Amino acid sequence: MRFFTPGAAKASIKFRMPTAENLVPIRLDIDVDGNRFKDAFTWNPSDPDSEVTNFAKRTVKDLKLPSTFVAHISQSIQNQLSEFHSFEGQEMQIKEKIVPIKIDLRVNNTVIRDQFLWDISNLESDPEEFARTFCKDMDIGDPEVGPAIAVSIREQLYEIVTQSVSSARETRIGKKGRRASDTLTNSKAGITMDLGKLFGSKGSVVRKRKEWYLYEPIVDILSNEEVGALDAREELNARLKRKLDEKDESFQTRYSHG
Amino acid sequence: METTQPAASAPAPAPVPASSQTFTPSSAKSADPPQLLQTPSVSSTKSEGMVAEPRDPPSSASLHPPEPSSSAGPSHASSSYVITIPSCSGWFSWDQIHNTERRILPEFFDGKSASKNSEVYKYYRDFIIKRFRANPTRKITLTDVRRELVGDIGSIRRVFDFLEEWGLINYTPLAKPSAEDKKGNDEGLEKKETPRRICTNCKSPCSMACFTTDKADIILCARCFVRGDYRPGLSSTDFRRLNITEETKTDWTDKETLHLLEAILHYGEEWKKVAEHVGTRSEIDCIARFIKLPFGEQFLGPEGSINGNSHKEKDEITTKSIEDNAPEQGSPKRMRLTPLADASNPIMAQVSFLSAVVGSNVAQAAAQAAVSALPKVEIASGFTVNDDKLHSAADGAKEEDSPAVDQQAYSEILSVAAAEAQAKLETEQKDVERYISDIVQVQMKEIQDKIIHFEELEYLLEKERLQLRHMKDLLFEDQLTYLQHNTRPISKGAEGQNAKSNNHVP
Repeated sequence: MRFFTPGAAKASIKFRMPTAENLVPIRLDIDVDGNRFKDAFTWNPSDPDSEVTNFAKRTVKDLKLPSTFVAHISQSIQNQLSEFHSFEGQEMQIKEKIVPIKIDLRVNNTVIRDQFLWDISNLESDPEEFARTFCKDMDIGDPEVGPAIAVSIREQLYEIVTQSVSSARETRIGKKGRRASDTLTNSKAGITMDLGKLFGSKGSVVRKRKEWYLYEPIVDILSNEEVGALDAREELNARLKRKLDEKDESFQTRYSHG
Repeated sequence: METTQPAASAPAPAPVPASSQTFTPSSAKSADPPQLLQTPSVSSTKSEGMVAEPRDPPSSASLHPPEPSSSAGPSHASSSYVITIPSCSGWFSWDQIHNTERRILPEFFDGKSASKNSEVYKYYRDFIIKRFRANPTRKITLTDVRRELVGDIGSIRRVFDFLEEWGLINYTPLAKPSAEDKKGNDEGLEKKETPRRICTNCKSPCSMACFTTDKADIILCARCFVRGDYRPGLSSTDFRRLNITEETKTDWTDKETLHLLEAILHYGEEWKKVAEHVGTRSEIDCIARFIKLPFGEQFLGPEGSINGNSHKEKDEITTKSIEDNAPEQGSPKRMRLTPLADASNPIMAQVSFLSAVVGSNVAQAAAQAAVSALPKVEIASGFTVNDDKLHSAADGAKEEDSPAVDQQAYSEILSVAAAEAQAKLETEQKDVERYISDIVQVQMKEIQDKIIHFEELEYLLEKERLQLRHMKDLLFEDQLTYLQHNTRPISKGAEGQNAKSNNHVP
């Protein structure tokens, strides 16, 4: 039995997803001539590049999308993969962090909200298995929910590890070294939790009853009208956001030249 | 051969609770029993894990009427459709994972990754198949499936492709072969009615012997069979041979044969040009015809080919008829045909090809004849069995008249080859003997060295022992003197005695 001293063991390892399978979450959101295609799935980064084009072609054919999508899809996937690969050579520091993972999704008619704690340093964790068990336990009828959950978990994990890569870089650059990492952890105090506090002499493993409601999963089935309403609102938001982005860009270009 | 299984999508209580909700119920289209009648002798398969619906005995399986499922409902009208899977996938069962699956998708079973194991595989596979069977009239696509399966796209895609290739999903036996057909699929069902058979592997018409297997309904031409180009999961023992005589289709006229031989003479192994030259025949026909031409000598080693060439020229001068020309021109070309089979040893490839073409009985007889003829050959001994086998196999294969001229040339070539082989064999033996003696010498030397070493050791040890004894004596002396000094004040007289005796000791 190893005795945990929180914060002391900082294993520095090569960048990878902290899961048993080193899979990358890919999100596609392509808009061509008013046709919008949104998708999210997990990809194995060690698959050859030919897979990307095959997959794009196959998807376009299966969904009967216009063929211009093939290039866009392949491009998007390739971009995300190369971003992942660019992180790959670098070191990251896995501190023994327990991070809360939040699920807040709407898939077709089902709304899922949940929150739970995930151990980043456990390199054998499996979001897919979690998603499967979740759907089975919660008796979720729609089979599209499972993959969505898995992708969402992976995305959050991915974000965390990429941040830890940059933090590793900073600690090396900064002369303070250890102190710098401490300040970082303090700044992220809201996100990470100190194991010591939980499992120390005063804490116990059992969650306090008043906190139960926070960690309980909520699964809601919406009626079709609600779904329609939510969809319309999301569309509106997306359009507004796009307009704002365009404004920002034009602003930048105008004032960078001027 | 096909197998039929009654669809069991909805009636299965536990496995498919959820998936039925997600698709639109298919229209109540009953199966097409009349079309099924065309398939010859449908055999039924085991259906473990499927819900126990009453199944008709095999003889009437083709007339299986649409049965309403037990837990009926209008949305489950699709269950009246009869699910068929090709007999090559008859091993499939819901409860188990077959060796085929293990072999083709090893990523799930090699234990390398914790999250890819057989349960995950089973989950993917069962999900995909149930999904398909819930709506069998419509082909499911990878996109449908991967959106609903938790896991990485690559693995899901591989499972999906595997299932599709083996006809466990998206398999409609009455559909025309589509462009996406992977090799070895069962669409060749239609082709069974027609006399002409197409090899499912190389897509060329097999006009010689063809090989078929009941497991997969694959038809292979002899070449593909020998090359081993069938899909994994089948072994060569699964195939049985069917003879198709090409002559019945269209007979080669003399003119065509002459053209063929001229073309071969000019172009060698470029069958495209040969076929062009002949004009009315395809490449395959040309090759097939060429092989069937009466040849007396075949398949010699590389030395034989040179001789074969010279004999060819000789015979061209002597005879003008086609039949005599054919063998001589044939032999060097024939030898260049050997790379057809993909074996490292060209002779063995020839043997395999021939035995495939002629059938097992003839090949067996030929081999036996070769073995028995081996001691009887009047050529110098040391003849390799292979050559002999080939010759007799060739002889046995081409039962057409072999002119006496060829026999002579044949034996001459044989003798030359035999002599060379013999010489090589002797040198080999000498080499081996020499090496053995060298090895033995080295070993002896080693032993000798060891003996010497041990002797030296012994000598050293002996010296050490002597030294030790000497030191022991010295110690004894010292002890004595010490004792004497101690006892001096007690008795002076004794001291004098001791001193005397002391002087004697060293």
